[in-house]
Amino acid sequence: MKIETDKICKQFTRHVNEVNDKGGRKKSHKEDFYAVDHVSMHADSGEILGVLGPNGAGKTTLLRMLGTIMHPSEGSVFIRDDEGQIVKDPVILKKNIGYLSGNTKLYNRFSVREMLFMLAEIYGMDKEASEKRIEEIIGILSMEKFADNRIGALSTGQTQRANIARCLIHSPKVYIFDEPTLGLDLLSSEAIINFMKTEREQGRTVLYSTHYMEEAQYLCDRINMLYQGRIIAEGTPGELMERTGTTNLRETFRALIKETEAEHE
Amino acid sequence: MNKKIISALYKKEITDILRDKKTILMMIVVPLILYPLMFLGSMALFSSILSASTSKAYTVALDGVNDPDAMKQYFKDNEEHFKYTFIIKEPEEGETDAALLEAGTIDAYVAESVSDNHPYFEIAYRASETDSQTAAGMVEKMLSKYRDELRSEAFIEQGLDEKAMMNPIGFFMKDYSSNEENVGFLMGYILPFLLIVSILMGALYPAIDTTAGEKERGTLETLLTLPVNNMELITAKFLAVSTIAVAAAILNLLSMGGLTAFMASSMNMLSDNMNVDLVSFIPSMGVTFICILVFALFASAVSLCSCIMAKSFKEAQNLTTPIMLIFLLGGMAGMIPSLELTEKTALIPVVNITLLIASIFKFHFDLSIIAIVLFSNIAYSALAVVIMTRLFSSEDILFADSAASFRIMEKRADIKKGQIPGMGDLVLLFAILLLGLLFIGGLFAGKFGLWGVIMEQLMFLVITVFYGWYIKVDFKKLFHFNGFNIRGLAGSVLAWAGAYLILVLLSALLAAFFPENADNTALYDLWGNNPVWLAVVSSALAPAICEEVMFRGFMLGTLENKYSAVKAVILTGILFGAYHMSLNGLIIIGLLGIVQSYIVNRTKSIYLTMITHFINNLLAVLSVLYEEQFTKALPFLAGDELPTSTMIIMALSGAVLLSLGMWMVGKKEVK
Repeated sequence: MKIETDKICKQFTRHVNEVNDKGGRKKSHKEDFYAVDHVSMHADSGEILGVLGPNGAGKTTLLRMLGTIMHPSEGSVFIRDDEGQIVKDPVILKKNIGYLSGNTKLYNRFSVREMLFMLAEIYGMDKEASEKRIEEIIGILSMEKFADNRIGALSTGQTQRANIARCLIHSPKVYIFDEPTLGLDLLSSEAIINFMKTEREQGRTVLYSTHYMEEAQYLCDRINMLYQGRIIAEGTPGELMERTGTTNLRETFRALIKETEAEHE
Repeated sequence: MNKKIISALYKKEITDILRDKKTILMMIVVPLILYPLMFLGSMALFSSILSASTSKAYTVALDGVNDPDAMKQYFKDNEEHFKYTFIIKEPEEGETDAALLEAGTIDAYVAESVSDNHPYFEIAYRASETDSQTAAGMVEKMLSKYRDELRSEAFIEQGLDEKAMMNPIGFFMKDYSSNEENVGFLMGYILPFLLIVSILMGALYPAIDTTAGEKERGTLETLLTLPVNNMELITAKFLAVSTIAVAAAILNLLSMGGLTAFMASSMNMLSDNMNVDLVSFIPSMGVTFICILVFALFASAVSLCSCIMAKSFKEAQNLTTPIMLIFLLGGMAGMIPSLELTEKTALIPVVNITLLIASIFKFHFDLSIIAIVLFSNIAYSALAVVIMTRLFSSEDILFADSAASFRIMEKRADIKKGQIPGMGDLVLLFAILLLGLLFIGGLFAGKFGLWGVIMEQLMFLVITVFYGWYIKVDFKKLFHFNGFNIRGLAGSVLAWAGAYLILVLLSALLAAFFPENADNTALYDLWGNNPVWLAVVSSALAPAICEEVMFRGFMLGTLENKYSAVKAVILTGILFGAYHMSLNGLIIIGLLGIVQSYIVNRTKSIYLTMITHFINNLLAVLSVLYEEQFTKALPFLAGDELPTSTMIIMALSGAVLLSLGMWMVGKKEVK
């Protein structure tokens, strides 16, 4: 599957508290701002697309719109199936997307296996197929030890693996992972990184955001650099480094942001 | 809607709710353990107070008593009779009753004086002290026994027949209601209140858990990644919460029933002379059970609807507090003696269930009213579910601060000028107006007559205009305050007249199928008992202005912005019909509302429909006030049985007038 966006925007309102000169009484007013500002981008089958940017750059909002969890306030998202047809039905879209972010928490009162069963039922899988798929996933993510524990009692790394299992259950064609390795130890993040690589080899589309530049440099086929809701640079890690004359992505990131801020002034 | 998905989601919701310790606590521990404990505890407390009060000795001061020793002896002699112990004390010099009582050295102060040549006793005590109150009560009892004895002696001394003198006539009361009816009457008082409270309690907690709780725990976004539509999601949540509410209500009932049975058997209430035939309550129990189910749906829908707007548990609890208060008040409706279950009260949420349960336990089964109560509850629940699916699709509510989809919740200073109300605003305003009509409307008319009718209309007008002002709408545009030309006026009047002719026929037809005893006689009497101008102002002029502003102004304007002209016109008509709250009203007034909305939609002038609305209601008022002249002048509008030929002529001319009028207002150049 292929994802394209055409100048999508997301407008939010924020409260601004002002301090009044007289006695410092607080006044507040609202103002509109673009969290995502006319972004046009694309992600193709068999590639890992990195969405990088500082905190508040709009990564999560952008990924939410791509994952059909939010609707753009302007512009449109096109998701094409393998024949190149645009898929519009939100139910079919959601059946083809595995979405993971820091905000997709799990049901603490269920065990991992129970949760996966419940999800499989909602995805319309029959009992046999779901049992098979669940065993498979437990194997892939090595969750044998805690598959029957309640999710509320799992460690951070185990919870994150359970969360990835949630995205896998329906064998989606597109993965949208918003900071999947955040706060994980080396072993857990390696498992997740390896998983993304295998999925890419199987022709899946992987969209992925992170703050770990080394990880992105190693993993991404292409990178979209997001800053203040806009894409400020796009290309392979190599291209971006070359353009900025840097030797690693960390430096590239710094240089690009400096460049944009200089332009603004 | 996919049944499999709903059932999977339902299973998930139920498991999730039942695995929550707090829910279990509310559901099982409260009814099955806390109630019996509370009951037994209060019994124990009560009996201990009772025994303490009799075993205790009370200090009483006697002051200025004619024969203190005799009085002391009388107290002593009667201790056995009244089961008390008194310590008699004579006050010292300088001690006042108030000071002694305040110091707590005595419990009551008895002073004898002479008034009108009679001995006169004053019992001083402090009502705020339990001991003092008890002691004073005992002294009073004792003194009245003393008085009775003195009186008997006097009668004997005079050689009179005390019985004949004191009770020249005799009487006794005989109650023809059966024991079952007495028990039912009592049940009708208590049962609805207990049921409403327990169902609401059963619904509230899971409703909060499954909405605000899901948001707080961060699983909401996970839920949104699933291939599920809003309707399925809301239906599953709604069914799960209703299930828990029903289960909680049944557990509560069983617990209370068990306690009552225990109490009854231990108090020997079910002895020979108080035999209650429990079988006779089976039909009432059956209807009550259906009421429980339907009310559980309603309570769940209402609590979900408010909780869905909250972002946290705490906020949800704040939002549901007013609901709880309203439900409690509604649950007490059965205790208001003058409030009866009628076609009108059968539409008031909460109150209708209370009154229905009360009336069926008095063995009054009116099937049509039972149907109205049950259907109106189902309809309200369905409305709430639809509102919820709308709320649930709103990203403002899912991701942002809180109830932002209602503009009225924002600070006015933050709202930009020229707003068009959203669907949330429309639904909220309609709900406010409907509730106002149900709860306050009758009250005004009952208290102030036709002036009350005018006040009610003005109140609704003020609410609507205030809502518009607060959210800074463009009044001229939203409310269609535009001028009109002669063609527009002629077209509107013709369209209305045509519609009126057709609807007169249709309402006669409907009356044949759905005989409705719509109770308008109270209003007709009001018209008859007041000056004609007041009847016209209250029932024709006021509605023509106020209802038009509400419906052809605010609601049509909002809907026009959201939907196509056809949809907006029809929806406004339906809302207008629903507002009049009767089946025939829904159809007849709804259709009239559609024609009115069409006129405004095309001409953008609300003044035109104010005029036709005024003519329409004026005709109604005059037809009642001058019935004779009216029937003579316009026989085809008033006659109940019309010849077929007249009916055909009416239908045809109505159709011609309506089409001509609609064509005239529909022409482009009309502005």
